[in-house]
Amino acid sequence: MVRYEGEPIAGVVAEDEALARDALTAIAVELEATPAVGDIEAAVAPGAPLVHPDWRGYDVAFDYPRNGNVAAELNSDPDPEALANAFKQADLIVEAEYRAPRQYQAYIEPKSALASWESGRYIVHTASQFPFNVRDQVASFLGVRVSDVRVIGHHIGGGFGAKLDAGLEPYAALFARAVGAPVKIDNDRTEDLLTCGCRENAVVRMRTALSSDGRILARDVDCLMDNGAYSGEMPFMASLPMHVFGQVYRSGPTRIRCRLIYTNTAPTGAFRGVSGTYLYFALERNMDECALRLGIDRRQFRIKNLIGDGEATLVGQVLSDAGLLREGFDEIERMAPWSEVSRKDASPGKLVGVGIAATTWLTNPGAGSVTLKLNEDGTVGLVTAATDNGSGAVTMGVAQIAAAELGVKPNDVVIQMPDTDSAAYDAGSQGSRTTHVVGRATLAAAAEVRQKILAIAGDLLEAAEADLELADGAVRVKGAPSRSVTLSQVATEALRSGGPIAAAGSYATPLPAFNPSCATGLLFPTFPTPTYHVHLAVVEVDAATGQVKVVRYVVAQEVGKAINPDAVRGQIQGAVAQGLGYLLYEGLDIENSRYKQRTLETYRLPLAVDIPNVESVLMEHGDSAGPYGARGVAEPPIVPVAAAVGNAICDAIGKSINRIPIRPDDILEAIDVDGRLEPA
Amino acid sequence: MELSITVNGAPHVIDVRPHATLLSVLRDSLFLTGTKRGCDEGECGACTVLVDGYAADSCIVAALSVNGSRVDTVEGLGGQHGDLDGLQRGFVEAGAVQCGFCTPGFLMTLTAFMRENPNPAADEVRMAIAGNICRCTGYSQIVDAVRIAVANRPQ
Ligand code: FES
Ligand code: FES
Repeated sequence: MVRYEGEPIAGVVAEDEALARDALTAIAVELEATPAVGDIEAAVAPGAPLVHPDWRGYDVAFDYPRNGNVAAELNSDPDPEALANAFKQADLIVEAEYRAPRQYQAYIEPKSALASWESGRYIVHTASQFPFNVRDQVASFLGVRVSDVRVIGHHIGGGFGAKLDAGLEPYAALFARAVGAPVKIDNDRTEDLLTCGCRENAVVRMRTALSSDGRILARDVDCLMDNGAYSGEMPFMASLPMHVFGQVYRSGPTRIRCRLIYTNTAPTGAFRGVSGTYLYFALERNMDECALRLGIDRRQFRIKNLIGDGEATLVGQVLSDAGLLREGFDEIERMAPWSEVSRKDASPGKLVGVGIAATTWLTNPGAGSVTLKLNEDGTVGLVTAATDNGSGAVTMGVAQIAAAELGVKPNDVVIQMPDTDSAAYDAGSQGSRTTHVVGRATLAAAAEVRQKILAIAGDLLEAAEADLELADGAVRVKGAPSRSVTLSQVATEALRSGGPIAAAGSYATPLPAFNPSCATGLLFPTFPTPTYHVHLAVVEVDAATGQVKVVRYVVAQEVGKAINPDAVRGQIQGAVAQGLGYLLYEGLDIENSRYKQRTLETYRLPLAVDIPNVESVLMEHGDSAGPYGARGVAEPPIVPVAAAVGNAICDAIGKSINRIPIRPDDILEAIDVDGRLEPA
Repeated sequence: MELSITVNGAPHVIDVRPHATLLSVLRDSLFLTGTKRGCDEGECGACTVLVDGYAADSCIVAALSVNGSRVDTVEGLGGQHGDLDGLQRGFVEAGAVQCGFCTPGFLMTLTAFMRENPNPAADEVRMAIAGNICRCTGYSQIVDAVRIAVANRPQ
């Protein structure tokens, strides 16, 4: 059964690409058409064709609510009486529906994989964000032990979540064994786009009960998310509304139903910010609509309902430092005072609007490890399966930490590319975890290496260890810098006494407590090491063309500690650009279960002329668990962008547009509805 | 068919298929893999090289159409011993490289542009790179890199 366009059915191995393409035409496939469903709303309608008629018989790792085309379902468990009463007593109920399309990660390097079969083992070369996951998936596909597969990581030409799961690797490995030679598979751009696990499209319906003095009394949220034809990590995403709707604003009793839906389309997957991007868009658009209907200033309404230090979220996780959200609003106010940016001095024919949005996000807690060794020339070798997905988390962050702890230059830390044979497990470049988790592991390894260095140097220098310091590639007696030995001397001496200097460190973030009875189907129960974000956007809308120009974009982000402030700013700038692409230009349209956009010509990505310089303030309240207090940084600045800019556009035109993307045509249509805002 | 080109100053005579693109000749025949293939359809700019001094998307240039031309790729930018040129140093200093896959294309586009416009304003730089896509950086630090390269240029 073929369930989506792009599903692998057959393969050809040839000596070059042209031959392979020729040979493909020799394969005749006979397919019998059966009814398909390419739309989430159609897929949950009564009588819809089942994407997986045999879903009951499937072997799932652990059981969670599933039913027909519903691949996973989450239901919160609020006190029904309190919920009903809140809606009954509400002074105002605001009801709306929000929509978001698929977004393609569109990393500039399409996926590829190279595999060989050597001495009974599969060797896979791939630019993966998560080599151990690829190892496990290749092994499971081939039915071999995970240790029969060796995955060697390479520099990644962008991934943004799409290179966490195995893509071409299992097929390359299968073919390599079948033909007895190394096999490489390269996606062309269209193949890549059609089969990529894009951010899922979704529909979010919301009812919010309000008191006239501006409190949120209760909420009822219903989400449909598109799973595509097969599930990878997506069932976890159905839990996200449980976090988003309770970790920024106090919302009273909250009913959440979230259904992940099978459709006959390419499987969806992880893209930076995952479902948070559109869930926060829905939440923050709703906050604006509530404030407007109540006649309360939009910023004040938010501040009034913000959660604070020590408050619990809908899952019962206590956020000890949620008051940082308020600080984020204050930081934004210092950079872009609300009363000033709301003044809207528009040039003729232009409409100016301002939007604000807040987000609480997490730092992925997954386990990681580092081995450090002192090389005989005094450089430091660093072995880890953590990967650098363009963020610099390994090549700058982790290397900087090792260098600082051992007193060498960052360039004298020699990093081995990830290799599942030589490095211990690492949970991959996802959820901003690398600097936080692997940085912690590096601190542990460095402490032990340092200890071994000091022991040998103490002997060589005839000094007490406590009197020694590591700096400039040497060990010195404090206060007597002329008494020193180089790290190279120490490493060489170690070969004669006790053996080479090396140590490993490991870390995984302990998971916060939560309330397991808050919902059914809660596969993703907590948000460890939270981070806090407030974004503000000022836009100028051309009333004649509907073109949007973002004239100011301001970010306040709690980072714990910026290990490399330039790199942090680069992550924020890049994330905002992806968020602007999501809201203004991108989006895959699905027609008859197929994507309409199939190349980078029709899938419009943001260009240099579209993106403003982002102003950012990094808030640094050291969180004790990370290295020097660092929290995750790189993923979350995409999360509030569609919300902030969407609010700014709606403010500019005085109309609600509750779907992503918002393109010039959508704006002109909204402006035109009652002719209130005549194009100038 | 036979193709004669000079790549980064070195002459080459290569046997190519009639429809081969310049990109495939550079990558697959000459193993100059610094020039990247991002789309193979002239959209992303990752494959930008200089043909007789002008920036071109090598994925949509038929190799035989540039017979006799001078081609410059990112491998030819720096010095003999891996030292970087001024624009490359600007990229490093500005933090203009995240994953780096787009970087060779931006460097070649900007190399051609800055020969004509040695002192560009930020807006002009943005226009000049509007044919190159970077999915990682959000472009600001690439614009900064040009400013830094101009400031550091020996007078
Ligand atoms: S590879 Fe040539 S423009 Fe994309
Ligand atoms: S740095 Fe990754 S695409 Fe530009």
